[in-house]
Amino acid sequence: MKCDICNNNEAVICLIKIQGNDVERVNICRECARELSLLDGVELYNDPTAALYKLLQMDNTVNNSSGKSKIFKSLDTRKNLKCSYCGIDLKTIKRTGRVGCSNCYIEFKNILFPVIKSIQGSLENKGKIPVNTSKKIRLEKSIRDLKRKLQNEITIENFEEAAKIRDRIKRLEKNIYGR
Amino acid sequence: MAGDKFYFLENKVENKRGRDEYNPDGIILNTKIMLSRNLAGQKFVDASSGSEKNAILDRVRKSVSDIKEFEDLHYHKIRNLKGIQKDLIFREYMIEEDVANKVQGRGLFIRPGLNSGVRTAIIVNHEDHIKIQGTSPGLNIRRVYKEVTGIEKCLEKKLSFAFDDKLGYLTASPFNLGTALRITVVAHLPVLAISPKIGDFVKKINNIGCQINSYFSVQPEIIGNLFKISNRITLGKGEKDIIKEMQAICSGIIEDELDARMQLKKDDFIGIEDNIYRSFGLLKYAKILSYEEALELLSIIRLGLDMNMIDGVHDFDYFEMINKITNSRIMLDMEISGGISDDRLDLLRAEIIRKKILKEVD
Repeated sequence: MKCDICNNNEAVICLIKIQGNDVERVNICRECARELSLLDGVELYNDPTAALYKLLQMDNTVNNSSGKSKIFKSLDTRKNLKCSYCGIDLKTIKRTGRVGCSNCYIEFKNILFPVIKSIQGSLENKGKIPVNTSKKIRLEKSIRDLKRKLQNEITIENFEEAAKIRDRIKRLEKNIYGR
Repeated sequence: MAGDKFYFLENKVENKRGRDEYNPDGIILNTKIMLSRNLAGQKFVDASSGSEKNAILDRVRKSVSDIKEFEDLHYHKIRNLKGIQKDLIFREYMIEEDVANKVQGRGLFIRPGLNSGVRTAIIVNHEDHIKIQGTSPGLNIRRVYKEVTGIEKCLEKKLSFAFDDKLGYLTASPFNLGTALRITVVAHLPVLAISPKIGDFVKKINNIGCQINSYFSVQPEIIGNLFKISNRITLGKGEKDIIKEMQAICSGIIEDELDARMQLKKDDFIGIEDNIYRSFGLLKYAKILSYEEALELLSIIRLGLDMNMIDGVHDFDYFEMINKITNSRIMLDMEISGGISDDRLDLLRAEIIRKKILKEVD
């Protein structure tokens, strides 16, 4: 297997990082490992666990250097979009690090999800679910699905079907939010 | 008389040094848990107008008053909290400083005294609509979590919270998504703090997904060797996993500090003994003590007690002392209503500490 850094030598270290559902594999050759001053030859052969630990630490230090504010600095605000429900814009979110409502997470999904991923390392809730809102979650999920469908219908210019879906979304939203 | 204004101070802490979970020598001094929740279908605090925030507060107040289990909760409008009373409530309940910022519709419910050793509070319209928090002396994660979720369950009877099946509980800051569960422990690490290993220790804490800060969030310097450590990740893990991980991390912190103490005792016994008795001498003879200096000295005396290296002082609860020797607390205990100089307070502080911890007072 070739080294992922120099793409030349045979790799002797295979680093596997598991974070949430992502598995990242990095293969490194002896020369590159030494160049990165991660380990000296002796250590590599005598104590491979210590060597791996060092590598992992380096990986984490890189991750940690991105502090709270830095993570939001990467937020894409070229189009300063506004949330249609609460009216907060991306520049404000970038400045405060806080969104304005639940809907922001839906509308700015493409922009916010990578940020959430880099903060939390995962996008899948494994915590508890509110006792009395399971029906509501189902409804919200169908709204999300319908919105996706709506987009599809609009792209293929099937406006008749799109209008039907839009009405269904409105009904469901009324059901949930009471407005 | 302290009067009604200070009702929350009654009901003293029992089982001072938390021994519920593994915590020898009381290295973990306090456990705090916060749960953030927002009301479903409402704009979050940042995007709400003053009247919208007031409406949220009214809704929460109405719900709280309808819940039988909340009969003993006291409500405070943050704007109306001032002076000593504010300072004492904030310290006693470990409420973050910036909650005091004047924002419309911000409210605070506190439960007087302790419930199973836990102090609980609900903050309305801070970063999120509702923040439920509980604190308890010692390492007491499970106990505090139980209290906090107990409050959440009661609230859930009347209110429904913003939730997404993928992102979990929706919070204003993406840092709290998922479980929106933040566990913070206060650790007293007098030897690690001066050891050259402190850099590695901080790095390690960061690497295992935690944040480490000074206990006094207002200033970055460490005072009295007090650290605050909390979990960073809230999404992608269940509540139980977060609790288990935090317990394991606390055990690690305790082991690291105990190892450092052993090492120091081996390497420089005289040095540490000298340090402990110097602090003792200062506490015994100094006439004026600032809050910061007092904490530094008490930390070392506490270390001396933990390592059985000092005589002549009573056993004392370090974490309790942190709140007992503040200016506000001294003014309350001495029934001083105001107009007192800082020098005079420093004088009183030195006197109070002498009376509390020295075995023989001349």
